[in-house]
Amino acid sequence: MSVLERASALAVAVVPPLPAPSWGLWRRQLAAAVRLELKKGFRGRRVLGVVLLASMPVAIFALHALFNSPDDPANVGEVAWHFAGLYQAFIMRLVLFFGCVLVFGNLIRRELLDRSLHFYFLAPVRRELLAAAKYLTGLVVTLSVFGAATVASFFLAYAGYDGAAARRFIFDGPGLGHLGAYLGVTALACLGYGAVFLAAGFFTKSPALPAVTVFGWENLHFLLPPALKKISVIHYLQGLCPVPISQGPLAILADAPSPWVAVPGLLGLTLVLLFLSAWKIRRMEILYTED
Amino acid sequence: MSVADVTTVLPDTAGIAADTAGAVAAAASRRILFDEVSKFYGEVLGINRVNLAIPPGITSLVGPNGSGKTTLMNLMAGLLRPTRGRVSVLGLVPERPEEMFRTIGYATQHDAFPPGLTGFELVTSYLRVHGYPRADAETLAWAAIERVGLADAAGRKVAGYSKGMRQRIKLAQAMAHRPSVLILDEPLNGLDPMARAEMTILFRDLAAAGLHVVVSTHILHEVDRISDQVVLLNGGYVVAEGEIEGVRDEMEEHPVQVAVLCDRPQLLASRLFLADHVVEAKLERGVLLVRTRDADRFYLLLNRVVLEEGVRVESVAPADSDVLAVYHYLIGGEGGVQR
Repeated sequence: MSVLERASALAVAVVPPLPAPSWGLWRRQLAAAVRLELKKGFRGRRVLGVVLLASMPVAIFALHALFNSPDDPANVGEVAWHFAGLYQAFIMRLVLFFGCVLVFGNLIRRELLDRSLHFYFLAPVRRELLAAAKYLTGLVVTLSVFGAATVASFFLAYAGYDGAAARRFIFDGPGLGHLGAYLGVTALACLGYGAVFLAAGFFTKSPALPAVTVFGWENLHFLLPPALKKISVIHYLQGLCPVPISQGPLAILADAPSPWVAVPGLLGLTLVLLFLSAWKIRRMEILYTED
Repeated sequence: MSVADVTTVLPDTAGIAADTAGAVAAAASRRILFDEVSKFYGEVLGINRVNLAIPPGITSLVGPNGSGKTTLMNLMAGLLRPTRGRVSVLGLVPERPEEMFRTIGYATQHDAFPPGLTGFELVTSYLRVHGYPRADAETLAWAAIERVGLADAAGRKVAGYSKGMRQRIKLAQAMAHRPSVLILDEPLNGLDPMARAEMTILFRDLAAAGLHVVVSTHILHEVDRISDQVVLLNGGYVVAEGEIEGVRDEMEEHPVQVAVLCDRPQLLASRLFLADHVVEAKLERGVLLVRTRDADRFYLLLNRVVLEEGVRVESVAPADSDVLAVYHYLIGGEGGVQR
C-alpha cells in the first residue's frame, strides 16, 4: 500500500476522543514526552559532550591498567583507597557535576534557544507533567552514561593489579558492596544535581551562572561550618561513599551523615526542587515571540 | 404590594436571573472572549484594554508589525498571561492548558520543530503527548497530513521541508486532534498562490464545519476573501472589529468610495457633486470615483440622475470597502504593511 493509499485509508477511520484526565492518561502522556525527549534531545552531537565527560575517568583508569606493572606492590586495599580518591575528587565533584549541568541545565534553555518549547505547551498536558518528563529524561541519560562509566572505572581500577587478589576482593570480599555504594552515590548525585539544574533552568537564561555558584559552594564545602555543610549535596554524597578520604589539613571536620539521614535528605532536597520547577513551569510564559 | 406578593415574585426574579446567567454562560461557551485584557512586557505595551467576543467562522487579525497580533494569539493560547483582564476560549481558561488544548489547535509563526523528526513523526509525537494510543495517533496524523496535502512528503525530515511545507505541517499539527478553535499565526506566509488558494478553501471548510478559525496575516487582499470577521490592530489597540462591511459602516467620518463605469462620467460627476454628502468626484481612466458620506443617499441620487439624464451605466461597485481600505483609513499607510 502506498503512502497516499495508506493516508486515505486512515483518514476515514474513526478515533475516539481522549479520555478524561486520569492516572492512565497522565502515564501515557509522560511516557510519550520522555520518548520524544530521548529521541530529539539525546543523540548525535548533543550527547557527545556528556559521553566525553563520562569517558574521562574510564580513560584514566584504562591507561593506568594498561601501563601499570603487574608486579606493582600495591595491594587491593590501596587500590580501593586510590579509587575512592579519584571517585570523590574527580568523578563526583567534576564529572557528575558538570554532566548534570550539561544535561539538566539545558533541558529548558535549549528549547528556549531553539524556540521549540511551545511544542509541548500547546498540548493538553499538565505542565508539571512536562517538567517531570524532562527530569526523567535527564535521569535516564545521566544514569545510563555515568552509571556505565562508574562500573567501567571500578573494574578498570583493579584490572592492572594481581588478578586473583582483585577477584577475591570484588567477588568474595567487599568489592561488589563498594561498587553498589558508588553506583548509589552516582544515582543520588544525578538525582540531586539534576533537580538543582532543572530548577535553575527555569530561573536563569544560561546554566553557567548557577553552575559556577553551585560549584563554588560544593567545593568550598570542606571549609564550611557543620551547619552549612548540611545544605550541600556533596556533604551527603561523601557520607555515602564506602571508603572515606581525607578532606585536607584545612577542612573543618563534621560528622558524616548516616545513610539513614543522607539518602532521605537528598531525596527531600530533590523533591523540594522538583516542586519548585513544577510551580515555575505552571506559570511560565513563552517570551521568545515578538510580532 | 404585600409581603405575600413579594415572596411569589422573588422566585420568578431568581429564575430570570438564573436564565440570564445561563444564557450568558452559554454564549461565553461559544465564543473566544477578551475582557479588558492588557499585556505589558515590563514597560513595553503588548496590547491594551482589549475587549473582543470572537464568534465561530474565520476571524482575521490584521495589523502592522508590533501591533499586537501575536500577543493576542498567545494570550488566547495561554502561552502568555494577561497583565490585566480575563481571556476565555469557549468557556475554558488558559490557566488550565490540560483542558483548553483539547479544544485549541495553534500553529505559531515559528518554524522550530523538535530535531530529527519526519513530518509524520512530528504530528504523531505531538498526538502521543496528548495521550492518544499509537494507532489512534497515527490515524489522526495521517488524516491531518492528507488534509493539508503533504502525504507524499510525510516520510521526509521536517528539517528538509520548504517554507510552504513547514507551514502545512504546522497546520496539520494544529488541526490533527480535531480542535474546535484553530489559531493560525501568518499561515499563508511562504505559500505559493496555488497553495494559498488550497489553504483558503481548507479554512473555509473548517469554518463551515463550525470551527473558530483565527488567522493573522499581512496579506491584506486575501483577508477579504477568507474572513467572516476582521479585527484591526494598531499599537496594541483594537481599532476596529466586526464584519468587514460593518467595520466600514462604523467609520462615518470616512467617506465611502464608489466606482461608476458609464458612458457620460463628466455629466454624472457634475450632477452628483451638487449633493452635500458627496465630498469628491474624480475620473480615473474612464471610471468615475465618487466619495460620499452617505452611501444610501448616494445610490438613490445615482438612480435618479441615471433616469433623468439617460446615462448608460455599465457597473457600480464599492471601490474601497475591502479591508485594505479600512486598514489604511484607520491605521494609515505607514504601518509597515507588506503586501
